[in-house]
Amino acid sequence: MLSQRIAAGMKGFETRVVAGDVPGAEAFECDDGLAVRRVRADRRLGPARNIPLNAVAVAMAMRYRPAVTLSVHIVTSPAAALIARATGAPTVQYFHAKEVGAKPKLAAFAAANAQVAVAVSRYTAGLIAATGVTPAETRLISPGVDLPDDPSPLPEPRPTLLTIARLEDRYKGHDVIIRSLPLLRAIVPDAQWVVIGDGPLRPGLERLAATHGVSDAVHFLGAVSDRVRDEWLRRAGALAMPSRLPDGGFAGEGFGIVYLEAGAFGKPVLAGNVAGALDAVSDGETGLLVDPTDHIAVARAAAELLSEPALARRLGANGAVRARELAWPRICERVEATLHECLEAASS
Amino acid sequence: MRPCTTVPAMCGIAGRTDDPQGRATRVMLERLRHRGPDDEGVHTGASRGVSIGVRRLAILDLEGGHQPLANEDGSVWVAFNGEIYNHARLREQLRERGHSFATECDTEVLVHLYEEFGEAMVHALEGMFAFALWDERRGRLLLARDRFGEKPLFVHEHGGELVFASELTALLEAKPQLRELSTEAIDAFFVFGYVPGPETIVRGVRQLSPGSLLSWERGSQRIEERRWWTPPQLPGRLNEPRAALVAEASRLFADSVNSRMIADVPVGVFLSGGIDSTLVTSAAAASSSQRIKTFTVGYDVGPFDETTRARDVAQRLETEHHEVILTQEAVREQGPRILAEMDQPLADQALISLHALSDFARPLVTVALGGEGADELFGGYPRYRWIERIGQARNAMPVAISPRLQRRLSGPARRLIERSGPEPTLERNLDWVTGGRRRHRRGLYGPRLAGVNDGLVLSHLASRAGELGGEATGRQLMRLDQVDYLPDDVLVKTDRAGMLVSMEIRTVYLQRELAEFAASVDTSLHLAGRGKSLLHAMLPPGMDTGRTRRFRKAAFNAPAAEWLRGALAPTLRRQLDSGTIYEEGWFDRTTAKGLAAEHLSGSHDHSDLLWGLLAFGLWSDRLLGADAA
Repeated sequence: MLSQRIAAGMKGFETRVVAGDVPGAEAFECDDGLAVRRVRADRRLGPARNIPLNAVAVAMAMRYRPAVTLSVHIVTSPAAALIARATGAPTVQYFHAKEVGAKPKLAAFAAANAQVAVAVSRYTAGLIAATGVTPAETRLISPGVDLPDDPSPLPEPRPTLLTIARLEDRYKGHDVIIRSLPLLRAIVPDAQWVVIGDGPLRPGLERLAATHGVSDAVHFLGAVSDRVRDEWLRRAGALAMPSRLPDGGFAGEGFGIVYLEAGAFGKPVLAGNVAGALDAVSDGETGLLVDPTDHIAVARAAAELLSEPALARRLGANGAVRARELAWPRICERVEATLHECLEAASS
Repeated sequence: MRPCTTVPAMCGIAGRTDDPQGRATRVMLERLRHRGPDDEGVHTGASRGVSIGVRRLAILDLEGGHQPLANEDGSVWVAFNGEIYNHARLREQLRERGHSFATECDTEVLVHLYEEFGEAMVHALEGMFAFALWDERRGRLLLARDRFGEKPLFVHEHGGELVFASELTALLEAKPQLRELSTEAIDAFFVFGYVPGPETIVRGVRQLSPGSLLSWERGSQRIEERRWWTPPQLPGRLNEPRAALVAEASRLFADSVNSRMIADVPVGVFLSGGIDSTLVTSAAAASSSQRIKTFTVGYDVGPFDETTRARDVAQRLETEHHEVILTQEAVREQGPRILAEMDQPLADQALISLHALSDFARPLVTVALGGEGADELFGGYPRYRWIERIGQARNAMPVAISPRLQRRLSGPARRLIERSGPEPTLERNLDWVTGGRRRHRRGLYGPRLAGVNDGLVLSHLASRAGELGGEATGRQLMRLDQVDYLPDDVLVKTDRAGMLVSMEIRTVYLQRELAEFAASVDTSLHLAGRGKSLLHAMLPPGMDTGRTRRFRKAAFNAPAAEWLRGALAPTLRRQLDSGTIYEEGWFDRTTAKGLAAEHLSGSHDHSDLLWGLLAFGLWSDRLLGADAA
């Protein structure tokens, strides 16, 4: 999806896109005539499941002879390396975060074979360095955000904390929010927590809420449409996702696009003071950064955002400005400029 | 600033809502002198009639830690027993919020937290505690107990008034008329070996349940009790990399050890040589710049010898290791007194060992880290695995084994057949744990217990199990132990054994986040291999030598059978001849004497039965005497 977003936004290149065929991908199809070739990845093949994707990418490259390859995930870095060898096209390689911790050897390979590495945050740049390979050049380019047509607030009788994230990564901090809720409700008695997103963690989180006696204040909505999600972004008092660093050397939040999305709706955010959130959220300007393992600090920050309207308005307004700065067209311009610079460097 | 930062708060608390001068509270505190011999404090909200008080053992600064403590304007007072491990962080956060502190005591954070969060303050606490907090303005008394029930709190309600104390005997000092024994509680004690909460051995007094809050308000006299935390019941995490689970467990465990190592006084570790205490020792050694002191107990009689194994672990981890041999002579001198001095009878045979270990270590350390709770949280007891397997085997048996054949079997084969009876899982578990004591009730009960309903103990279990919902056998038993055996036996033993010698035992595994993590791991992973598979994986390289016998179950087991034949035989005989429980008709002297004779002759091992009778008999003689009638 990222590949399409970027490709569609670039005006100075003729683009060909090869992308994995994942559920929901059609929702990201652009209507501007972009040529996209989807390749199904069969999970039963395990580590070999991305071979078809790489093979199709190489075949397409041999046909179209690209000037430059933009590899938006390290799983396509083998194809990018082969294309470079066969055609001489330099590679611009994207790095996010999670994949670097999960596949450090492949990440090191991708970094070694790229002329330019694009890290979505300073945290990600640090993860790349930790693989032991220093890319020839690293650019920091954050993900972009779609600006909503109507960000105006909707009425909501209860002070609402909102979290939007798939329920599959523990580091997102849903558990810490649950532990914080009894304390939050001591300060903001009517506070509720609305959770958008589904995944295998949901049953455990529901029971954890019962353990802490806050089931009545928690609403798991599951996966919802973009319209419903946007409505909640308009209703909520603040967005909270106190992502922390995972255990065992796995990587945490690469950036946290949802922080920008909340900002686009003029909402303040609560985030962990680690990893990519440090770039996504400006502490005291667009949101509050707290120790994401400290449920008391999370409760305090959430209470401030929900019970101090002036503070919430100021942070939200700043978040909206920042979202406009990082809207997709601006990000695509930066990626395109990076590709041009890479081409110039390669040709000189 | 008056310092008492990290001094163990070995205390007893007591109070009443109808005691404007604090006289009755002082009477109760006097009975708690052993929990805090150095200092006593009582706050009376005279206009409201409420008194709360503390007895405290002061190790450094007596004045700095004087309790009860108040907030800035004296409108909120607290009497506290226990330890708040995250108090430094809480203090920092409260200072940022503008609170000012008069002392460095962990107790003081409570009054300020209350100002911030009201009764929800308990959710901010990491530690073991029981406290009474008096809000003068609202005329409101709040009683609270920690998540796992590490620190005790007994409560009596009458006519809208409240009496409370850290130990039952103290409360009875203020309310002698409550000394009427509960036949149901005696029955439960005989079967379980402890008195399951929230009931107590006497009528009219109950325990505040673990993870509970009780509030009382002057005026309405309304009493409300609610659970603020329950042991988690989470679906198992099956599809996550084992390495990630081990890493998470290791971090949480290290955090817990670090938080419990913070003290201005020397900290040691009780090391049995089993995996629980080995892990604790290893983590403590890693977090300390000084050599860790470890302690273990051995015996001069019986089959249990954990000293070799503990010594081996101590050598590998390079600790300053100390061993005490609990001799028969010491058991003869100390054992009866310890059993009698419990505030409720407790038949846990390791009580005397833990007391001896605490007493031995006390001159060298004031705080000891213990491994309590590891078995219940991480699946350590073999029965968790075996009861499930036995149930499966039983279902697979083509024909029932005849009673005649059963009688001809002996040793392990017979025990296995007996344990694979047709009973429901909970009864099978009960018989496994208690050696089938419930089947001896008819013969051993005297006329005072004759009318007891046989089904009460089972309905107690069923009720507890009902709260747990339908789960797989292993997980159900683990959770049952977490809400029953752990708070009412293991933690009572730990608290009282330590308090008797002014030693604070800090449990490392009973940390909220670690417990919630353990509950989220699938039971099959916990019970894999010999059980506690995650803990095995957490051991440092070289310590877990292929799960050898080094780490077979060990937790200061005691040679109770040998003691009853040797050191404690005279006491047992005296009990049988003149003990109150026989004189007053609670138990049948003839049957008990018959069992004792068989045991003393060496032909049978009735230690499971006789130990409970001895513990209850000595307790009754001391506390109740002729009043038992």
